[in-house]
Amino acid sequence: MSFHTLFLVSIAAGFVGAMSGMGGGVILIPVLTLFGMDIKYAIAVSIVSVIATSSGSASAYVRDRITNLKVGMFLEMFTIVGALAGAAITLVSGRRILFILFGVVLLSSWVALFRQRKATWRQAARQDAFSRWLELEGSYDDRSVNQTIVYRGVRAYLGGPLMFGAGLIAGLLGIGAGALKVMIHDLVMGLPPKVSTTTSNLIIGVTALAGTSVYLAAGMIDPGMTAPVILGVVFGAFMGTRLLVRLTNEAVRHIFLGVLLVLGVEMLLRGLWGV
Amino acid sequence: MDMESLVGYILLTGVLLSVALLAVGFVWRWLRVGSLRFEHSIVGMNFFEFLLSTLRQTASQAFRPRLFLNMGIAVLMLTPFVRVLTSFFYFAFVEHNWKYTLFTGFVLSMLTYSLFLR
Repeated sequence: MSFHTLFLVSIAAGFVGAMSGMGGGVILIPVLTLFGMDIKYAIAVSIVSVIATSSGSASAYVRDRITNLKVGMFLEMFTIVGALAGAAITLVSGRRILFILFGVVLLSSWVALFRQRKATWRQAARQDAFSRWLELEGSYDDRSVNQTIVYRGVRAYLGGPLMFGAGLIAGLLGIGAGALKVMIHDLVMGLPPKVSTTTSNLIIGVTALAGTSVYLAAGMIDPGMTAPVILGVVFGAFMGTRLLVRLTNEAVRHIFLGVLLVLGVEMLLRGLWGV
Repeated sequence: MDMESLVGYILLTGVLLSVALLAVGFVWRWLRVGSLRFEHSIVGMNFFEFLLSTLRQTASQAFRPRLFLNMGIAVLMLTPFVRVLTSFFYFAFVEHNWKYTLFTGFVLSMLTYSLFLR
Protein backbone atom coordinates (compact mmCIF):
# COMPACT_ATOMS: atom_id res chain seq x y z
CA MET A 1 0.00 0.00 0.00
CA SER A 2 1.25 3.49 -0.82
CA PHE A 3 2.14 6.10 1.78
CA HIS A 4 -0.78 8.27 0.73
CA THR A 5 -3.38 5.51 1.10
CA LEU A 6 -2.02 4.44 4.48
CA PHE A 7 -1.77 8.02 5.70
CA LEU A 8 -5.26 9.03 4.59
CA VAL A 9 -6.94 5.87 5.90
CA SER A 10 -5.16 6.37 9.23
CA ILE A 11 -6.20 10.03 9.46
CA ALA A 12 -9.83 8.95 8.97
CA ALA A 13 -9.48 6.15 11.55
CA GLY A 14 -7.81 8.44 14.10
CA PHE A 15 -10.43 11.12 13.47
CA VAL A 16 -13.47 8.86 13.90
CA GLY A 17 -11.76 7.00 16.75
CA ALA A 18 -11.08 10.17 18.72
CA MET A 19 -14.61 11.49 18.17
CA SER A 20 -16.16 8.24 19.37
CA GLY A 21 -13.67 7.75 22.19
CA MET A 22 -13.00 4.20 21.03
CA GLY A 23 -9.56 4.70 19.51
CA GLY A 24 -8.51 4.18 15.92
CA GLY A 25 -7.95 0.42 15.77
CA VAL A 26 -11.55 -0.66 15.37
CA ILE A 27 -11.83 1.45 12.21
CA LEU A 28 -8.28 1.11 10.95
CA ILE A 29 -8.03 -2.67 10.78
CA PRO A 30 -11.23 -3.35 8.78
CA VAL A 31 -10.42 -0.53 6.34
CA LEU A 32 -6.80 -1.66 5.85
CA THR A 33 -8.02 -5.18 5.05
CA LEU A 34 -10.47 -3.69 2.54
CA PHE A 35 -7.44 -2.15 0.81
CA GLY A 36 -5.93 -5.63 0.57
CA MET A 37 -3.68 -5.74 3.62
CA ASP A 38 -3.38 -9.13 5.34
CA ILE A 39 -5.41 -8.98 8.57
CA LYS A 40 -2.47 -10.13 10.70
CA TYR A 41 -0.27 -7.31 9.37
CA ALA A 42 -3.15 -4.85 9.81
CA ILE A 43 -3.43 -5.95 13.45
CA ALA A 44 0.34 -5.57 13.97
CA VAL A 45 0.43 -2.11 12.37
CA SER A 46 -2.63 -0.98 14.30
CA ILE A 47 -1.38 -2.01 17.72
CA VAL A 48 1.75 0.15 17.33
CA SER A 49 -0.39 3.17 16.50
CA VAL A 50 -2.53 2.44 19.57
CA ILE A 51 0.56 3.16 21.74
CA ALA A 52 0.74 6.63 20.18
CA THR A 53 -2.92 7.59 20.50
CA SER A 54 -3.34 6.24 24.02
CA SER A 55 -0.11 7.77 25.34
CA GLY A 56 -0.93 11.12 23.69
CA SER A 57 -4.33 11.44 25.30
CA ALA A 58 -3.26 9.83 28.60
CA SER A 59 -0.54 12.46 29.04
CA ALA A 60 -3.11 15.26 29.37
CA TYR A 61 -5.49 13.33 31.62
CA VAL A 62 -2.73 12.21 33.99
CA ARG A 63 -1.47 15.77 34.40
CA ASP A 64 -5.04 16.91 35.04
CA ARG A 65 -5.14 14.29 37.83
CA ILE A 66 -8.26 12.59 36.51
CA THR A 67 -6.49 9.28 35.84
CA ASN A 68 -6.09 7.06 38.88
CA LEU A 69 -2.51 5.78 38.64
CA LYS A 70 -2.94 3.12 41.33
CA VAL A 71 -6.02 1.63 39.66
CA GLY A 72 -4.06 1.67 36.40
CA MET A 73 -0.95 0.00 37.84
CA PHE A 74 -2.97 -2.71 39.56
CA LEU A 75 -5.05 -3.56 36.48
CA GLU A 76 -2.05 -3.47 34.14
CA MET A 77 -0.77 -6.62 35.81
CA PHE A 78 -3.73 -8.45 34.29
CA THR A 79 -4.03 -6.74 30.91
CA ILE A 80 -0.36 -7.21 30.09
CA VAL A 81 -0.53 -10.99 30.56
CA GLY A 82 -3.75 -11.04 28.51
CA ALA A 83 -2.18 -8.99 25.70
CA LEU A 84 0.85 -11.29 25.44
CA ALA A 85 -1.40 -14.34 25.29
CA GLY A 86 -3.74 -12.67 22.77
CA ALA A 87 -0.97 -11.64 20.38
CA ALA A 88 0.58 -15.12 20.57
CA ILE A 89 -2.81 -16.64 19.66
CA THR A 90 -3.14 -14.31 16.65
CA LEU A 91 0.18 -15.50 15.25
CA VAL A 92 -1.08 -19.08 15.05
CA SER A 93 -4.79 -18.56 14.31
CA GLY A 94 -6.49 -18.73 10.96
CA ARG A 95 -7.38 -15.48 9.23
CA ARG A 96 -11.09 -16.29 8.96
CA ILE A 97 -11.32 -16.74 12.73
CA LEU A 98 -9.77 -13.29 13.19
CA PHE A 99 -12.30 -11.72 10.80
CA ILE A 100 -15.18 -13.38 12.64
CA LEU A 101 -13.84 -12.37 16.07
CA PHE A 102 -13.32 -8.82 14.89
CA GLY A 103 -16.86 -8.70 13.54
CA VAL A 104 -18.24 -10.05 16.82
CA VAL A 105 -16.27 -7.49 18.87
CA LEU A 106 -17.45 -4.63 16.62
CA LEU A 107 -21.07 -5.71 16.78
CA SER A 108 -20.90 -6.21 20.56
CA SER A 109 -19.48 -2.69 20.91
CA TRP A 110 -22.34 -1.52 18.70
CA VAL A 111 -24.91 -3.15 20.98
CA ALA A 112 -23.18 -1.75 24.09
CA LEU A 113 -23.13 1.76 22.63
CA PHE A 114 -26.68 1.49 21.34
CA ARG A 115 -27.99 0.53 24.76
CA GLN A 116 -25.63 2.91 26.54
CA ARG A 117 -27.12 3.55 29.93
CA LYS A 118 -27.83 7.11 30.83
CA ALA A 119 -27.78 6.50 34.58
CA THR A 120 -25.62 8.91 36.53
CA TRP A 121 -22.70 7.63 38.53
CA ARG A 122 -23.25 7.01 42.21
CA GLN A 123 -20.67 6.46 44.89
CA ALA A 124 -20.44 2.80 46.03
CA ALA A 125 -21.98 2.37 49.48
CA ARG A 126 -19.03 0.59 51.01
CA GLN A 127 -15.60 -0.48 49.85
CA ASP A 128 -14.58 -4.13 50.18
CA ALA A 129 -11.47 -4.96 52.21
CA PHE A 130 -9.34 -5.97 49.20
CA SER A 131 -10.00 -2.73 47.30
CA ARG A 132 -9.30 -0.77 50.48
CA TRP A 133 -6.01 -2.64 50.88
CA LEU A 134 -5.19 -1.69 47.29
CA GLU A 135 -5.81 1.99 48.14
CA LEU A 136 -8.24 2.31 45.23
CA GLU A 137 -9.73 5.67 46.03
CA GLY A 138 -9.24 9.17 44.80
CA SER A 139 -10.73 12.49 43.86
CA TYR A 140 -10.64 14.88 40.92
CA ASP A 141 -11.95 18.30 40.05
CA ASP A 142 -14.83 18.02 37.60
CA ARG A 143 -14.76 21.35 35.78
CA SER A 144 -18.08 20.73 34.02
CA VAL A 145 -19.93 20.80 37.35
CA ASN A 146 -17.35 22.80 39.33
CA GLN A 147 -17.11 20.12 41.96
CA THR A 148 -14.54 17.83 43.50
CA ILE A 149 -15.67 14.25 42.99
CA VAL A 150 -14.50 11.83 45.66
CA TYR A 151 -14.75 8.11 44.84
CA ARG A 152 -13.77 4.65 46.06
CA GLY A 153 -13.10 1.73 43.74
CA VAL A 154 -14.76 -1.59 44.62
CA ARG A 155 -14.64 -5.26 43.59
CA ALA A 156 -11.00 -5.17 42.51
CA TYR A 157 -10.94 -8.98 42.99
CA LEU A 158 -13.32 -9.22 40.03
CA GLY A 159 -12.06 -6.24 38.01
CA GLY A 160 -8.51 -7.66 37.83
CA PRO A 161 -9.33 -11.05 36.27
CA LEU A 162 -11.85 -9.44 33.91
CA MET A 163 -9.14 -7.09 32.71
CA PHE A 164 -7.13 -10.14 31.66
CA GLY A 165 -9.93 -10.75 29.14
CA ALA A 166 -9.81 -7.14 27.94
CA GLY A 167 -6.03 -7.42 27.48
CA LEU A 168 -6.48 -10.70 25.61
CA ILE A 169 -8.85 -9.09 23.10
CA ALA A 170 -6.55 -6.08 22.74
CA GLY A 171 -3.53 -8.23 21.93
CA LEU A 172 -5.51 -10.63 19.78
CA LEU A 173 -7.14 -8.01 17.57
CA GLY A 174 -4.64 -5.15 17.73
CA ILE A 175 -7.07 -2.71 19.28
CA GLY A 176 -7.11 -0.79 22.55
CA ALA A 177 -10.32 -2.56 23.70
CA GLY A 178 -11.05 0.69 25.53
CA ALA A 179 -14.83 0.17 25.49
CA LEU A 180 -14.44 -3.11 27.35
CA LYS A 181 -11.98 -1.68 29.86
CA VAL A 182 -14.23 1.30 30.54
CA MET A 183 -17.16 -1.04 31.06
CA ILE A 184 -15.21 -3.04 33.67
CA HIS A 185 -14.07 0.11 35.50
CA ASP A 186 -17.52 1.56 35.35
CA LEU A 187 -19.88 -1.34 36.02
CA VAL A 188 -17.70 -3.67 38.09
CA MET A 189 -15.35 -1.35 39.96
CA GLY A 190 -17.74 1.57 40.41
CA LEU A 191 -15.37 4.27 39.14
CA PRO A 192 -16.78 7.58 37.85
CA PRO A 193 -17.03 7.69 34.01
CA LYS A 194 -14.21 10.23 33.56
CA VAL A 195 -11.86 8.22 35.77
CA SER A 196 -12.84 5.03 33.90
CA THR A 197 -12.10 6.47 30.47
CA THR A 198 -8.85 8.19 31.37
CA THR A 199 -7.46 5.28 33.40
CA SER A 200 -8.35 2.92 30.56
CA ASN A 201 -6.33 5.19 28.25
CA LEU A 202 -3.27 4.87 30.45
CA ILE A 203 -3.54 1.08 30.62
CA ILE A 204 -3.97 0.75 26.85
CA GLY A 205 -0.42 2.07 26.24
CA VAL A 206 1.23 -0.73 28.20
CA THR A 207 -1.15 -3.39 26.84
CA ALA A 208 -0.43 -2.26 23.28
CA LEU A 209 3.33 -2.32 23.89
CA ALA A 210 3.17 -5.92 25.11
CA GLY A 211 1.20 -6.87 21.98
CA THR A 212 3.60 -4.91 19.75
CA SER A 213 6.62 -6.74 21.12
CA VAL A 214 5.11 -10.11 20.13
CA TYR A 215 4.43 -8.85 16.57
CA LEU A 216 7.91 -7.29 16.39
CA ALA A 217 9.47 -10.61 17.39
CA ALA A 218 7.45 -12.28 14.63
CA GLY A 219 8.92 -9.83 12.10
CA MET A 220 5.52 -8.29 11.38
CA ILE A 221 6.35 -4.66 12.16
CA ASP A 222 7.29 -3.09 8.83
CA PRO A 223 8.54 0.48 9.50
CA GLY A 224 7.53 1.63 6.00
CA MET A 225 3.90 0.66 6.67
CA THR A 226 3.79 1.38 10.39
CA ALA A 227 5.20 4.92 10.33
CA PRO A 228 2.55 6.48 8.01
CA VAL A 229 -0.14 4.84 10.13
CA ILE A 230 1.30 6.30 13.37
CA LEU A 231 1.53 9.77 11.82
CA GLY A 232 -1.95 9.56 10.30
CA VAL A 233 -3.70 8.23 13.39
CA VAL A 234 -2.07 10.84 15.65
CA PHE A 235 -2.94 13.65 13.21
CA GLY A 236 -6.52 12.36 12.78
CA ALA A 237 -6.99 11.99 16.54
CA PHE A 238 -5.73 15.54 17.07
CA MET A 239 -8.27 16.90 14.56
CA GLY A 240 -11.05 14.68 15.90
CA THR A 241 -10.51 15.93 19.45
CA ARG A 242 -10.68 19.55 18.22
CA LEU A 243 -13.92 18.91 16.34
CA LEU A 244 -15.41 16.89 19.17
CA VAL A 245 -16.04 19.96 21.29
CA ARG A 246 -18.17 21.47 18.51
CA LEU A 247 -20.40 18.46 17.92
CA THR A 248 -23.20 17.23 20.11
CA ASN A 249 -22.83 13.86 21.82
CA GLU A 250 -25.89 12.63 19.95
CA ALA A 251 -24.44 13.49 16.52
CA VAL A 252 -21.14 11.78 17.33
CA ARG A 253 -22.95 8.68 18.55
CA HIS A 254 -25.07 8.44 15.42
CA ILE A 255 -22.10 8.75 13.08
CA PHE A 256 -20.09 6.20 15.01
CA LEU A 257 -22.94 3.72 15.42
CA GLY A 258 -23.44 3.69 11.65
CA VAL A 259 -19.74 3.14 10.91
CA LEU A 260 -19.44 0.43 13.55
CA LEU A 261 -22.45 -1.49 12.27
CA VAL A 262 -21.31 -1.48 8.64
CA LEU A 263 -17.75 -2.54 9.51
CA GLY A 264 -18.93 -5.17 12.00
CA VAL A 265 -21.27 -6.84 9.49
CA GLU A 266 -18.64 -6.58 6.76
CA MET A 267 -15.91 -8.24 8.86
CA LEU A 268 -18.24 -10.97 10.06
CA LEU A 269 -19.40 -11.80 6.52
CA ARG A 270 -15.85 -11.84 5.19
CA GLY A 271 -14.93 -14.28 7.95
CA LEU A 272 -17.93 -16.51 7.37
CA TRP A 273 -17.64 -16.53 3.57
CA GLY A 274 -13.88 -16.59 3.57
CA VAL A 275 -13.54 -13.51 1.33
CA MET B 1 7.60 16.97 40.81
CA ASP B 2 4.78 14.53 41.67
CA MET B 3 4.20 11.24 39.90
CA GLU B 4 1.25 12.53 37.84
CA SER B 5 3.27 15.36 36.31
CA LEU B 6 6.26 13.09 35.72
CA VAL B 7 4.20 10.38 34.00
CA GLY B 8 2.26 12.98 31.98
CA TYR B 9 5.43 14.65 30.67
CA ILE B 10 7.10 11.32 29.86
CA LEU B 11 4.11 10.27 27.74
CA LEU B 12 3.82 13.63 25.99
CA THR B 13 7.56 13.89 25.26
CA GLY B 14 7.68 10.32 23.95
CA VAL B 15 4.81 10.74 21.52
CA LEU B 16 5.92 14.16 20.26
CA LEU B 17 9.52 13.03 19.81
CA SER B 18 8.42 9.90 17.99
CA VAL B 19 6.11 11.79 15.62
CA ALA B 20 8.83 14.39 14.96
CA LEU B 21 11.42 11.68 14.13
CA LEU B 22 9.02 9.88 11.78
CA ALA B 23 8.12 13.15 10.06
CA VAL B 24 11.82 14.03 9.57
CA GLY B 25 12.39 10.57 8.07
CA PHE B 26 9.62 11.00 5.53
CA VAL B 27 10.45 14.60 4.61
CA TRP B 28 14.12 13.71 4.16
CA ARG B 29 13.27 10.69 2.05
CA TRP B 30 10.97 12.74 -0.13
CA LEU B 31 13.57 15.50 -0.62
CA ARG B 32 16.25 12.92 -1.40
CA VAL B 33 14.52 10.52 -3.76
CA GLY B 34 11.10 12.07 -4.33
CA SER B 35 9.33 9.04 -2.89
CA LEU B 36 7.85 8.27 0.50
CA ARG B 37 8.19 4.53 0.16
CA PHE B 38 10.47 2.61 2.51
CA GLU B 39 11.38 -1.00 1.92
CA HIS B 40 13.11 -2.35 4.97
CA SER B 41 11.92 -4.64 7.68
CA ILE B 42 12.81 -5.55 11.22
CA VAL B 43 13.30 -9.30 11.10
CA GLY B 44 14.98 -11.65 13.55
CA MET B 45 15.42 -9.02 16.23
CA ASN B 46 13.87 -8.43 19.60
CA PHE B 47 13.17 -4.87 20.67
CA PHE B 48 16.44 -4.39 22.53
CA GLU B 49 18.48 -5.65 19.57
CA PHE B 50 16.48 -3.32 17.33
CA LEU B 51 17.16 -0.46 19.76
CA LEU B 52 20.87 -1.28 19.94
CA SER B 53 21.25 -1.43 16.17
CA THR B 54 19.40 1.91 15.89
CA LEU B 55 21.63 3.48 18.56
CA ARG B 56 24.77 2.09 16.93
CA GLN B 57 23.83 3.65 13.61
CA THR B 58 23.05 6.93 15.36
CA ALA B 59 26.41 6.86 17.18
CA SER B 60 28.29 6.17 13.97
CA GLN B 61 26.42 9.11 12.44
CA ALA B 62 25.08 6.89 9.66
CA PHE B 63 22.09 9.20 9.35
CA ARG B 64 19.63 8.10 6.74
CA PRO B 65 15.87 8.63 6.43
CA ARG B 66 15.19 5.03 7.46
CA LEU B 67 17.21 5.53 10.64
CA PHE B 68 14.79 8.28 11.62
CA LEU B 69 11.87 5.93 10.99
CA ASN B 70 13.47 3.28 13.20
CA MET B 71 14.24 5.86 15.89
CA GLY B 72 10.63 7.08 15.81
CA ILE B 73 9.27 3.56 16.30
CA ALA B 74 11.85 2.78 19.01
CA VAL B 75 11.03 5.99 20.91
CA LEU B 76 7.32 5.25 20.71
CA MET B 77 7.82 1.72 22.06
CA LEU B 78 10.06 3.02 24.83
CA THR B 79 7.47 5.56 25.98
CA PRO B 80 5.16 3.25 28.01
CA PHE B 81 8.22 1.26 29.15
CA VAL B 82 9.91 4.37 30.57
CA ARG B 83 6.60 5.38 32.14
CA VAL B 84 6.38 2.06 34.01
CA LEU B 85 10.09 2.18 34.93
CA THR B 86 9.73 5.69 36.36
CA SER B 87 6.59 4.72 38.31
CA PHE B 88 8.48 1.74 39.76
CA PHE B 89 11.29 3.95 41.08
CA TYR B 90 8.84 6.60 42.25
CA PHE B 91 6.80 4.10 44.25
CA ALA B 92 9.99 2.58 45.68
CA PHE B 93 12.12 5.60 46.52
CA VAL B 94 9.78 8.55 46.80
CA GLU B 95 6.50 7.15 48.08
CA HIS B 96 8.05 4.09 49.77
CA ASN B 97 4.90 2.20 48.82
CA TRP B 98 6.17 -1.38 48.66
CA LYS B 99 2.81 -2.82 47.60
CA TYR B 100 2.75 -0.74 44.43
CA THR B 101 6.50 -1.13 43.93
CA LEU B 102 5.80 -4.86 43.73
CA PHE B 103 2.83 -4.42 41.33
CA THR B 104 4.77 -2.05 39.07
CA GLY B 105 7.78 -4.36 39.31
CA PHE B 106 5.65 -7.22 38.00
CA VAL B 107 4.40 -5.13 35.06
CA LEU B 108 7.98 -3.99 34.38
CA SER B 109 9.32 -7.53 34.38
CA MET B 110 6.53 -8.74 32.06
CA LEU B 111 7.21 -5.84 29.70
CA THR B 112 10.96 -6.48 29.78
CA TYR B 113 10.35 -10.17 29.09
CA SER B 114 8.07 -9.33 26.15
CA LEU B 115 10.62 -6.91 24.70
CA PHE B 116 13.23 -9.69 24.80
CA LEU B 117 11.02 -12.03 22.75
CA ARG B 118 12.33 -13.05 19.35
